[in-house]
Amino acid sequence: MERITIDPITRLEGHGKIEIFLDEKGNVANTYFQIPELRGFERFCVGRQVEEIPILTNRICGVCPEAHHMAGAKAVDAVYHVDPPRTAKLLRELLYSAFYVTDHTTHFYALAGPDFVMGPDAPVAERNILGVIHKVGLEIGGQVIQCRKYGHTVVEMIGGRKVHPCTSIPGGLTKGITEDQRQEIEKMGRWAIEFAQFSLKLFNDIVLGNQAYVDLILGDIYTHRTHYIGMVDENNKTNFYDGKISVVDPDGKRLGKYAPSEYTDWIAEHVEPWSYLKYPYLKKVGWKGFVDGKDSGVYCATPLSRLNASDGMATPLAQAEYEKFFSTLGGKPVHQRLATHWARLIELLYAAEHWVELATDPEITSDNFRTVPTEKPTEGVGIVEAPRGTLTHHYWTDERGIATRVNLVVGTTNNYAPISMSIKKAAQSLIKEGTVITEGLLNMVEMAFRAYDPCFGCATHSLPGQMPLQVTIYDAQRNPIEVLKQAC
Amino acid sequence: MTERDKTLVLGLGNPILGDDGVGWRAVEVFESTFKDRLDQPIEIDYLSVGGLSLMERLIGYNHAILVDASFTGSLPSGYVSCFPLEQLPTSFQGHLSSSHDTTLQNAIAVGRKLGATLPGDIQIVTIEAENIYEFSDQLSPAVSCAVPQAVEVIQKLISEGINSLNPYPEAYRFERPKNP
Repeated sequence: MERITIDPITRLEGHGKIEIFLDEKGNVANTYFQIPELRGFERFCVGRQVEEIPILTNRICGVCPEAHHMAGAKAVDAVYHVDPPRTAKLLRELLYSAFYVTDHTTHFYALAGPDFVMGPDAPVAERNILGVIHKVGLEIGGQVIQCRKYGHTVVEMIGGRKVHPCTSIPGGLTKGITEDQRQEIEKMGRWAIEFAQFSLKLFNDIVLGNQAYVDLILGDIYTHRTHYIGMVDENNKTNFYDGKISVVDPDGKRLGKYAPSEYTDWIAEHVEPWSYLKYPYLKKVGWKGFVDGKDSGVYCATPLSRLNASDGMATPLAQAEYEKFFSTLGGKPVHQRLATHWARLIELLYAAEHWVELATDPEITSDNFRTVPTEKPTEGVGIVEAPRGTLTHHYWTDERGIATRVNLVVGTTNNYAPISMSIKKAAQSLIKEGTVITEGLLNMVEMAFRAYDPCFGCATHSLPGQMPLQVTIYDAQRNPIEVLKQAC
Repeated sequence: MTERDKTLVLGLGNPILGDDGVGWRAVEVFESTFKDRLDQPIEIDYLSVGGLSLMERLIGYNHAILVDASFTGSLPSGYVSCFPLEQLPTSFQGHLSSSHDTTLQNAIAVGRKLGATLPGDIQIVTIEAENIYEFSDQLSPAVSCAVPQAVEVIQKLISEGINSLNPYPEAYRFERPKNP
């Protein structure tokens, strides 16, 4: 049996490793996806004031600290049994929408874009954001940076500082915004809508206008029929900040919706002897292994999942794109994982539209941005949709508000099982008897999981940011016979 | 005085992830010890980001010093290194790149291509970490002991420039020890 190791995965936060085992003939026998474990966060939190945790959790990871801050803030509200005033919710959601615009933009142009704009088998030295800018033009690069700047500015205005917000406290926020700030935020949001529309047009021209890419997206290599989850509002429209989690089966039938406090009724974790990862699955369906289908509890939590689990988008331009998405791809649900990149851009447009909606709400500049808690703290769950999956924070405290237990189910963790399945399927489809293993071929294996926008920054949080991709090929006796490396 | 005249000193890392926070710690000690005693104008900040976000923070400065934990696995814990960005080896990338967007080198190339004013001189000071997989606000003993040495390197870089470090002990230069 031959063994191929991809270690660590490029363009992925944290240190991941893929091992591909070949049989005697050179076909893929099995694949394993592993990442290192990060220890001690619960122990680090226990004994601290619970309202300190939303500040600590946004230090878990440098990629989506805003998501951890918001999930933590909502969990702390629940711990103190306090409902923040409407203005506080509007401001938090406004910050969160701006963050989403920034995060989805970065993913498309820096991570996903290179695969499509430069091509999956383009030289690795060109398959990055620099290559994208070189190909599509300096102006677009400038707009990406401008978009990020606007997003960071809104986060700083509402969240108190860039990247790592710190203003959410039990019952609301420490500060509001002025009318001058509101006007500036609205102006930036209107620019973001245009940028999101432009990004969708770019996707339409470059990806959907290229039959080879359409075939790649629609092909079987990157397709799985699983369950999907995603947050929806009271009208079952996609929401990132507040609502219930909608669960749909592979046929698109809604199995139900759960409130944050009910997550343990719906989600359980499976353990495999060969990995320290825990694989979340739908408790009511059950764990049947790494397999597709209605009888398998494997679920997915991504932008594609959110669109599949909702009845539409709450803003008009995004709703039109939502309808085009499903009509183009053959109706709901869409199972083609590479379509996640398109779904992400539709979410980008929704986030930008919602940014403006919130910035023009008459109550957004109200000074009623906090309800002081009066009840004894106990236990609470907060859920938001992180860009890369449903993010759940669960805190327990004593009557003084001192944390006694903490549990986090982070975005990428939801997708461990489907990511593992996608890697195996892509490897089995692409690596056959007699196949010459090239860097481009391995990149196409990587594309299988890059669609999930996986981030192990908070799932494990190891130090090495970007290191070379190392591919080790083992013979039938598991001796290494070839080592391939790449860096980008 | 404009931003361009200042040297930006950045502590990088995660301050609650054990030795991952040693870059922050070294810059904190440097700030409390030297900031008011230097002839040169400096600005100090702390970041837990890499790639494009890090590049964006560097805009507007002529000189920058980035202080970060390294985790090569082949150097002794607490090993202090100093080298310009151009010599950054892959194994030292750490927080200098966020693989969720791009490497710092690529990010800087993007910024320059778009006309941003970025430092022509970026020096990197790294301290080899021991524990980066367990949350803690404490440093390992060997790593903690290296903080004064890293602070001295930062001070020397600012006061006398990179060339002043050449006569220094081997640990100050980017060279792996023969018998790590």
